Amino acid sequence: MNKYFSVEKFRYTFYLLSHPLDGFYEIRHRERGSVPIALIIVFLCGLTYTLNRIWAGFVVNDVNPRTVDLFSEMQGIFVIFFLFCVGNWSVTCLMNGEGRFKDIVMAVGYSLMPMILCGIPAIILSRFIASDEEAFYYLIVFIGTAWTVIMMLLGIMTIHNYSLGKTLVTLFLTIISILIILFVYMMLSTLLDQVFMFLRSIYLELLFRG
Amino acid sequence: MKRFMKNKLIPVILLLLMIMEPLTAYASEVPYDTYNYDYWDKVVFTPAAYVPDNSISGVSLGTTAFSNPQDIFVAQDGLVYLADTGNNRVLILSEDMKSIVKEITEFNNNGTTDTFNAPYGVCATADNELYIADSQNNRIVVLNLFVLLGEVEETEQTPELVKIVENPTSDVLEEDYVFTPLKVTVDYAGRIYVVAQFMFQGVLVFEKNGQFTSFFGTIPVKISTIEKFWKKFKTKEQREKSLMYIATEYTGIDVDPSGFLYASYIDSAGIQAIMRLNPNGQDVIKKGQNANLGGDLWIDGFSDYSGPSRIIDVVYRNKGIYSLLDAKRGRIFTYDYEGNLLYIFGGIGTQEGTFVTPVAIEAGEEKILVLDSYRAEIISFTATEYGNLINDAVELRYDGDETLAVDKWKEVLKFNENLELANVGIGKAYLTTGEYKLAMKYLKLGMSKQYYSIAYKRYRNEYLKKNLGYFMTGAVVILAAWLVFKRIRKKHKKMGGQSYE
Repeated sequence: MNKYFSVEKFRYTFYLLSHPLDGFYEIRHRERGSVPIALIIVFLCGLTYTLNRIWAGFVVNDVNPRTVDLFSEMQGIFVIFFLFCVGNWSVTCLMNGEGRFKDIVMAVGYSLMPMILCGIPAIILSRFIASDEEAFYYLIVFIGTAWTVIMMLLGIMTIHNYSLGKTLVTLFLTIISILIILFVYMMLSTLLDQVFMFLRSIYLELLFRG
Repeated sequence: MKRFMKNKLIPVILLLLMIMEPLTAYASEVPYDTYNYDYWDKVVFTPAAYVPDNSISGVSLGTTAFSNPQDIFVAQDGLVYLADTGNNRVLILSEDMKSIVKEITEFNNNGTTDTFNAPYGVCATADNELYIADSQNNRIVVLNLFVLLGEVEETEQTPELVKIVENPTSDVLEEDYVFTPLKVTVDYAGRIYVVAQFMFQGVLVFEKNGQFTSFFGTIPVKISTIEKFWKKFKTKEQREKSLMYIATEYTGIDVDPSGFLYASYIDSAGIQAIMRLNPNGQDVIKKGQNANLGGDLWIDGFSDYSGPSRIIDVVYRNKGIYSLLDAKRGRIFTYDYEGNLLYIFGGIGTQEGTFVTPVAIEAGEEKILVLDSYRAEIISFTATEYGNLINDAVELRYDGDETLAVDKWKEVLKFNENLELANVGIGKAYLTTGEYKLAMKYLKLGMSKQYYSIAYKRYRNEYLKKNLGYFMTGAVVILAAWLVFKRIRKKHKKMGGQSYE
């Protein structure tokens, strides 16, 4: 139990916010991180995103509340998360990246922390503003997003022991590999669907003939 | 049995009520969909604003059947003018459209008897002059109606000619231009506005004396970025062979009492199919929340039934309200002066109250008339209580009586809770009376962020003013507590105790 959850490990998520370079180095080499905590952060981030869509103030919220569904939002967040991790892992292990898959999961997961920390105050604030004050809301959201992007960049750079340029190249390749994965998935599902339909029609034919 | 009564009967009755209730709730009396679009451009079904109440054909009037009729006009005194194009005549119908006041087939042209050839458009002025777009004779015939309408004691007389407008000549017109007028309308000053065939430069404007003055309101040509991109790769020959990008023609015109011209046209993007032209020929129409004046918003698909609405005619009704007629799906879209969609009704079909080929729309008191050229019928619609309430509320608002309109809007909400316009109307009224909390509720339901913000700001200021004492007390208490806490901790540390951190 201590391996995954301890007060020290929870505190470490906050230490990372201000010391991303040292922090991610120790995650890679000194086992300071924890995969379950990273997944919890992803979950909370999905929750914050959904809450933002439902509860953000009327002035800044353009989402039709009837179209928001916690389950499908969460599904989307986790699918994107794992696609990114798998895509990054499949690129970096060919490009001398030092990070293991669990390091990538932790780096991406932990760096979503600012989204939660800025998202919740933004939701609360958005309920108390009028339309000409919406800049404050967007500023907070922007800070959270920028912080996350910087942390993710530094995290991936550190765990793989890359230079900044190489990180950017691998991120670009990661996006391409995500597209390839999606393409293969779609092709596979259509083909499997056709095979299934073929077998089903044979079965039906036999059923009607016999 | 008694026990059964006690335990089972009530749930059974409740269940039966639950099953039977929708049967009455969804009974529909009109042969078409009645709906509107909400803030998210989604279709929201509404009660019918107008229901069909009558259809008038040549046979029902006791004359020969209409043949390919193209235009109707309702004059200020309620008489209905019909251009029976295929029969080369113009009919004047009584106000209730049950009898013919006069059938005009010929007129006295300076001593000789003259006839029409495919009269396409009609318009009558308040001083009883009838304008007829005599399309195949390439002229506009203006007749005096005093004789016909019995104001002069001579009944069997051919109508008196006032003037003939033909052969417009100008530097801007080509030498061999053939003037084929289709639709005609006249403003309060007697200026004549004409939509002519193959005239892409705009509406032709004639002075009262029949002198051609200028074009009016050219429709802008829209070329998409993709088309521009491909054009760069075309050779000169290819470019010459490809289709020319020319403006479309206007399809219908109407003029409002202050002399602004409403002109409809077919927009292939389905965004704006109507212009309101000021005396300078500039478009000054207002767009509502959806920024769309082109009829239907959901136009995707590949069937004949999909695609943007083909707006074929427009009618200015009253107090800024105008209606557009869509030939594609047979719908009538009604907008207010701010460009908000009020209601949609009508459809293509063969049932009573639907159209096959709608060509013209007109409006009388509480009535909307649509002319169907294929069915050779005038289909008349009458406003329901719901439609009347919306009309009344919009008219009151147009006059500036927002507080009076609130009662109407509240009635509207009883029929249709989802009408955002009604909620906004009520919200704005509460805003002016200072009930900010209620205003916020209704403005939020009406999805008006702008006015909601105003209401919220005032509510917030009021709330802060009222509770400033509590806030200040709270702040002082917290500050004091913080200072005390700090002092205690200092003492604790001095005594060698553990820190709290």
